Order: sequence, then structure tokens, then C-alpha cells
Amino acid sequence: MACFERASPALKQILLQLYRADKPVAVEHHLHEFGSLQYHIQSYVSEAHHVYLSISTPILSTGSSILSGFPHYTIETVKGICHEVVQIVEPAKTGYQLTLKLDFSKIPRKKDAVKIITDISSVQAVILSSQLRELLKNVNDQEISQGTYKPIKLVYPPNEPFYVVKQPAKLTVVFPIRFKEHSDIVIAKAFFQELVDVGNSGACARAPPCYWSPIPPPELRGESMKDLSTNGGFVLFEIYARHIEGKKLDKTVWNLLNFNALVKYHVKCTKGFVQRRMRSRLQSLVEALQQHTTGMEEEDHNIAKVKGHRRMKKLIKFTRGAILMKRWNLRNRIKRFRSRIRIRGFQRRWLKLPSFTSVMSYHKLEKF
Amino acid sequence: MASSVRLYLSCIRNTLEAAMCLQNFPCQEVERHNKPEVEMKTSPELLLNSVVICRNEAEKCLIETSINSLRISLKVKQADELENILTKKFLRFLSMRAEAFQVLRRKPVQGYDISFLITNYHCEEMQKHKLIDFIVQFMEDIDKEISELKLSMNTRGRLVATEFLKQFI
Repeated sequence: MACFERASPALKQILLQLYRADKPVAVEHHLHEFGSLQYHIQSYVSEAHHVYLSISTPILSTGSSILSGFPHYTIETVKGICHEVVQIVEPAKTGYQLTLKLDFSKIPRKKDAVKIITDISSVQAVILSSQLRELLKNVNDQEISQGTYKPIKLVYPPNEPFYVVKQPAKLTVVFPIRFKEHSDIVIAKAFFQELVDVGNSGACARAPPCYWSPIPPPELRGESMKDLSTNGGFVLFEIYARHIEGKKLDKTVWNLLNFNALVKYHVKCTKGFVQRRMRSRLQSLVEALQQHTTGMEEEDHNIAKVKGHRRMKKLIKFTRGAILMKRWNLRNRIKRFRSRIRIRGFQRRWLKLPSFTSVMSYHKLEKF
Repeated sequence: MASSVRLYLSCIRNTLEAAMCLQNFPCQEVERHNKPEVEMKTSPELLLNSVVICRNEAEKCLIETSINSLRISLKVKQADELENILTKKFLRFLSMRAEAFQVLRRKPVQGYDISFLITNYHCEEMQKHKLIDFIVQFMEDIDKEISELKLSMNTRGRLVATEFLKQFI
């Protein structure tokens, strides 16, 4: 699924095509992706090796304040993707939040081209990750009331909020789960049960501990009832320092951002799997019934031989012509008629077959 | 556990063998019509006493017989919510495709999960003991399929959860 990959597959393919083009071409692409994400890619014949990439993406908001435009730390992070190739164009294209100018001539070697273009294609992931990373870093500056840390509400489009609660030595991320259908809730609950079991097992001991609760956890006390009313319960992840150090920070942030999407995708795939199994089972059950039916037809002939009235047996086994032939013993007579020895004077018209009347027909009696 | 299932199924089989004595009987209300009397229930003299065979509170079988038709309704065991939705989905899937089974009813009788309607015409086309074998086999297959579906779903969930948590390591 595209949203689980950091790099946009469509954007990557278009940029690779432009990079590998023999001569400059005038190209304009509009891409719309999952989560209200839009890309605009444009290149001109007059500007060889230059491509303009504009991005419009929903921003990870805190719910209380709406961020307009990208903060400076996000801009700095984007510049750090590949500072020689990527330049930020001010002002951004109309309708977009950020416009980048890509200089393909500055890409060092062909082998690195794919890696660099992949990094450029993951600019949206970089933007979202930087915002969450910065929010986690600035938690110390947030309101602290009565010695407790106030949960930070983050709204990730489309309107799926989750909470980050900073505690001593750990961060707790809480996902309220909501589904429209009851069957989805049951499938999701089964998945959360497996998630908790696997998290507590030895195989994933180093992964963040996860828990599921049908009621809001104590960390969310004081939040609005509208946000805390769910039908799928709450999933909690405890993030420790070892999960966000070094390169793991990007992975952790990206996994947390896409957790809701992962759950929904898993529920959808499970329903599709159940549907496929049901279809194959239906086929096998219908075949079993048909086997019972065809078994009846094969045994019919045998049953007719063993049971039944003598006349019925004859009617089943013998045609009417065969019955008549047997009755009048005509077989031998016909053999004689068709003998190769012809006697002059004996013609066929002299040898007439007796007229046969139908055994089923009605004979009107002659009047005496 | 298996022995109680065997007893339950053999009881159903014996009852069906006794109940499946159907003959053609035209409708007494409307001339030139031939209707399954177990569905119409207009003439009490044409109906036999219905039999309920219960394995436990959650599993039971209702057998209603008339002169020209027989209706079998089954309630399948559902231990938890997951089995509940799987059973509902699967049996509804089969009921919507009842024409493929000929003897299956499109809508189950109230209070039950799935129903069969067997008429004298079915008994003429198919052998009686083969029909009974099919129904008993169907009951076993349903239980087995629900259990396998539940196990597969849990296995899939476990695999997805393992892959998700491995990304943090």
C-alpha cells in the first residue's frame, strides 16, 4: 500500500523517467494521493536537467492550533534531503505549500541516482516526520498542570486523532479506534489481542510494549468526551529512548503515523480473505451435493435390473421395436429374406411382412 | 467432546430417516396448486409434530414435517464474537446462493442460523439416504469451516502484528 512506503511510487517513477530522458522534454503532471496529498511536477525544454516539484500536504496539527505553512525546522529538514540537488523556491507555486527545484545534473553517479530520487520522492514522509519529531522534542515547553504532563492531541488526516503523553523516561502514544461496522470492530479487536500477545512474547521483546483497553486510559483524563468516545477501544504504545535514538526515530515516527491506516488495511484484507474462503467452500459443498445427485443416476440402471415389475423391467431395458421383434421371432425370418441366394420368380412383393399393431393403441371392435 | 457430536448427529440422522416420508399432495385450498405444506401451515391435519434436538443451549436442530415437505433448521454454536460474525457471514453467503443447493432455504427460520426445505420432488430426484448424508455432512463441514476461518484470521493477525513490531527493532 502506497501510504506505508515513505517514497511515493508514482512520483519516483516520473522523476526517474525525467532523469533518464535523452533530451529535455516539456512535462507537467498532477498527482493526487491518499490523504489529500498533491504533487505538481513540471519541466521545461529551455531548462535542461531542472524539474520543479510542488507539494501540498495536510499538516499534522495539534488540534488546538492550526499550523499554516511549514515551520522552519521542516524547511531545514527538507533541505537536508540532498542539499546539492534540492533547492527551495520562494514563493511556492499557487495552491501548494512548498516548491522545490531539482537539479539532476548535480546527481553524482548513476548508481546513486535511484537512491537520491527515492529520497526526494519521500519528501512528504520527511515533512510529516519532522513535525512529529519536533513536537516530541518540544514537549518540555508544553503546559504542565499539577505535576502531570498534559496529553498532546495530534490530528492526522483524515481526522484521526491520536495522543502523545510524555512521562518520565518514556512516551505513551494512545490511538482511539473507531469503525463504522460491527464486524470491523470484532476483527480489529482480534488483531489487537494478537498484537498485545506478540508484543509480550520474547520475539519482539525490544519492540515498544503495547496494550489494548476498552475504556480510556488514565493518561487521557480531562480530555473531551467527543474524542474519547470510541467503539474499538484504545491502543497504547510505550516508546522508550532506545526506540527513538539515531535512525530508529524515523522508523518509529513513520510507523506510529501509519498505525491507523495499517489497522484499517488489515481489516479490509481479512474481509477479502474470508470472502475468498467462503467462495471456495461454496464450490466444494455444491460439488458434494451434485455427487450425491449423479450417484443416484448411475445406480438407476442397476436398480432396474434387480427390482421392479417384470413388464416395467422390460420397458426400461427394451425398446418397443425390440419387444415386437422378439414376440414375432422376426430376426430369423429377416435373415432368410436377405439371403444372397435369389430364386427367380420369388420377389419381395410376394413376401409380405405381417402387419403389426401397436400394443398401446386401441382396436375398435367390429360389429357382429 | 467428539462423542457428544456423534450422538447429536446420529440423533438427527435417525429423526430425519423417520421424518423423510414425503409424497405428492396437491394444495387443498387452491386447485391445481402444489405447495409445501410445512411452509403454508394452513391444514393442521397435514402437519406432523415438530421435533427439537438440542445439543446444548447454543446448538439445536428443529425438524418440522408435513405430508409433502420437510423443513430442517439449524442453530450453529458460536463461542465468541468472532465466531458469531463468521457464522453469520458464511451462512448468509450460502443462503443468498440457495439456488445452487436446491434444498437450501433463502431465509432461515427465526431463531436459527440456516434452514433447509426438502419437498417430495427432491426425494424423487435424489435418494433419501443421500440427502440425509448431505445434511449431516453439511453440519460437520460448517463447524469445521468456522473453526478453520477463525484460526486463519488469528494466524494472519499474528503475522501482521509480528511484522509491524519488527519494524521498531
